Amino acid sequence: MHLTGWTVALTALGAIPAAVTQSREVAFWWVAGVLALALLDTWMAPPTSSVGVRRDVPGSVRLTQSTRSSLLVANVGRRRVRGAVRDAWQPSAGADETRHRFSLARGETVTFRTQLTPTRRGDRHAGAVTIRTDGPLRLAGRQRSLDAPARLRVLPEFASRRHLPSRLRRLREIDGRTAVQLKGAGSEFDSLRDYVIGDDVRAIDWRGTARRGEVVVRTYRPERDRRVVVVLDCARLSAARVGDAPRLDASIEASLLLAALASRAGDRVQATAFDRSEQARAASSGPAFMTELADALAPVEASLLEPDWPAMVRLVGSRVSQRSLVVLLTTVETSALDSGLIEAVGALQRHHQVLVGSVEDPELGSMLAARGDTDAAYGAGAAARALLEREAVATRLRQLGAEVVLALPDDLAPAVCDRYLALKAAGRL
Amino acid sequence: MTTPADLVVAPAGPGLAARARRSRLGIVAVALLAAIVALMLLGSRGGDVVPLSTENSRSTGTRAVAQILRDHGVDVRQVDRLAQARIADPAATTVVIATPYLLGARQLESLAEYPGDVVLLGASDESLAALGVPATDELIAIPRTVEAGCSDPDALAAGTVRVADEGLAATGDGVELCFLHGGTAGFGRAEVGGRTVTVIASSTLVTNDQLDELGHAALALRALGRQPEVLWYVADGFDSSLLTWGADGSRPTGETPGEFEPVPDFLPPGTGTALYALALTVLVAAVWKARRFGALVAEPLPVVVRASEATRGRARLYRKARATGRAAASLRAAAAMRMGRRIGVPRSEARETLVAAIARASGRPAQDVDRLLYGPPPADDAALLTLMSELDALESEVHRP
Repeated sequence: MHLTGWTVALTALGAIPAAVTQSREVAFWWVAGVLALALLDTWMAPPTSSVGVRRDVPGSVRLTQSTRSSLLVANVGRRRVRGAVRDAWQPSAGADETRHRFSLARGETVTFRTQLTPTRRGDRHAGAVTIRTDGPLRLAGRQRSLDAPARLRVLPEFASRRHLPSRLRRLREIDGRTAVQLKGAGSEFDSLRDYVIGDDVRAIDWRGTARRGEVVVRTYRPERDRRVVVVLDCARLSAARVGDAPRLDASIEASLLLAALASRAGDRVQATAFDRSEQARAASSGPAFMTELADALAPVEASLLEPDWPAMVRLVGSRVSQRSLVVLLTTVETSALDSGLIEAVGALQRHHQVLVGSVEDPELGSMLAARGDTDAAYGAGAAARALLEREAVATRLRQLGAEVVLALPDDLAPAVCDRYLALKAAGRL
Repeated sequence: MTTPADLVVAPAGPGLAARARRSRLGIVAVALLAAIVALMLLGSRGGDVVPLSTENSRSTGTRAVAQILRDHGVDVRQVDRLAQARIADPAATTVVIATPYLLGARQLESLAEYPGDVVLLGASDESLAALGVPATDELIAIPRTVEAGCSDPDALAAGTVRVADEGLAATGDGVELCFLHGGTAGFGRAEVGGRTVTVIASSTLVTNDQLDELGHAALALRALGRQPEVLWYVADGFDSSLLTWGADGSRPTGETPGEFEPVPDFLPPGTGTALYALALTVLVAAVWKARRFGALVAEPLPVVVRASEATRGRARLYRKARATGRAAASLRAAAAMRMGRRIGVPRSEARETLVAAIARASGRPAQDVDRLLYGPPPADDAALLTLMSELDALESEVHRP
């Protein structure tokens, strides 16, 4: 049951007879009468079972974009139904207008659209659909909530895709396919061509020169069909917020940009999100890979667990047999010494090339640069200590042969891709 | 129009009769509870519990004496506020004041001006003085049954009474004290200014509980029933209005201050009831707004710990411990690392190599650079701040060679 504003207005009207008669009893019985009328109205209201609803939700939407969920309301009863319906969503689903009034004749349907502008990545769930049917006097009516489960998958924003064109240009330059006369770099033999002045003499293929009588040089191109394994650490350190978003979001951006770039470069990419067990997985399988990857990474949330690095090493070992590039998106910090990150990177580095990407905290930089009072001085001291400790861990990782990229959240994705291109150009994949 | 497929429809609930049948036990329980509540409300009719009130039928009340007086043709009227007295004929009316120690000074004044008879049940020094009775109020620790011992006809008619709690001690002539218990009397009477002031100091003897004992009834009825009308007032300390009398029902002089009017005269007469109706409306509006349009949807919130939290905590620890040495060592090492990286000296190089390289790059003496980077730790906050600015200056002077 629910009351409407008319009931309240009618109750307020009772002040007039009360004032005229100067009797509190009149006021009391007026209110009692209005409430009795409201009860009668509720009893006469159409039953909530005479209204049927259906939700139609688009499968997924990219963060910061809008979509529309539709709610179909049908009168399946025998009488005209007046009332309202509420299409409830989680607050972070960003629903704009969730309440709609309707008046449906028998057998009629109406479709309401609710604009959704999600504010967070992941699965956004809808709440119950609540139906109100008004009685003939509009004083009160019946109310009922229906379970109509719906889910909207909010994909990562992939804001770093604006870096993709420039990286693809770099890739083409490395590949030697660009219009600009740049020699292809790489380690895989491509073809022989005539020597022109300016070519590196070390590239002269003497056997071919002897055979043809003219000086020929070998050209190389970057290796193709290499394996890239992106491992996202979604354990406790990824939960910490850097700027406005958790570290994990920067890692997801980086893995999306790297996957887009590497699949264009002809490498086979697979990604896995890991804390103590695998949380999400996507492997390169044709043109729909990027969508699959975004869909797989969308619902990944950072857990408050310590990462199990040995299990991660075993997982990577079971997924790839040949030498690959393992991109480990985690946090380089002193606690990594205890959690076994160094040992894990050492174990991986024996068979693969490891690239460790870590999000830096811009606040640390501002603390380090702060001057003025003693507070700022001690802050700068603590920040400097944190920086040195992180640098020490990074140095240990570099000594093991791993590549380490430390970057601010917005710069991590392009920085990781640049390092990937550099490795590719150097033929170290 | 045909009905679309896969609609979610609420299952038609069971009818009213079916629902009543299913929750029979609940309905019986609610009915029982309602009946019990109704019985309790009816049974516990509040009634008057004020001591010495003529409407109080308990042992502390005086309903018995009032009824007997009425049976004898005396008109007993109790008022809640003195201003409601409006005594028409003071000559034929006895004003009975119970618990007079709760009267205010102005009320005592108005009582002193009153021309008719006054009976006090209990006493206080202020009330005795205001009414011109030359006596003081004394406490009686041990109750005792005593004889009249005076010439007052009422007291003689009563014979013996039980004197308890309070008594009177004379401070001068003009008052006749009866039922003396040691030096204190349970009953006193004085003729002051043409009227009789009677003090029944041991007021418990008029209560329902003790009225039928000894000569209590005789004393009470004779003392209270001298005039055909009795105005009964139990002072409660909350009422500050003054006694009213006179031919027109209001006191000839003076006003009644401190009177609270729920609805002042300048508002229309129905305002109070209209406000009452609007207050009920507020309740209905609360019910209207309290009914949610469906349940809230829960939001699983993410962790909101900032990544810099640990570093900030360390800064606070440094500050609390005044760890200038530690902070300075970290700042120096970080500065050395940045400068070494800029001029291409790896961290693994020895101290002398780095100092020499920085000295070359900045054009400063090597000793100065060595003191800045590897000197003794600063002694206090001021020294730390100085060191920081010096390090900043050095760092700004180091350029790539």
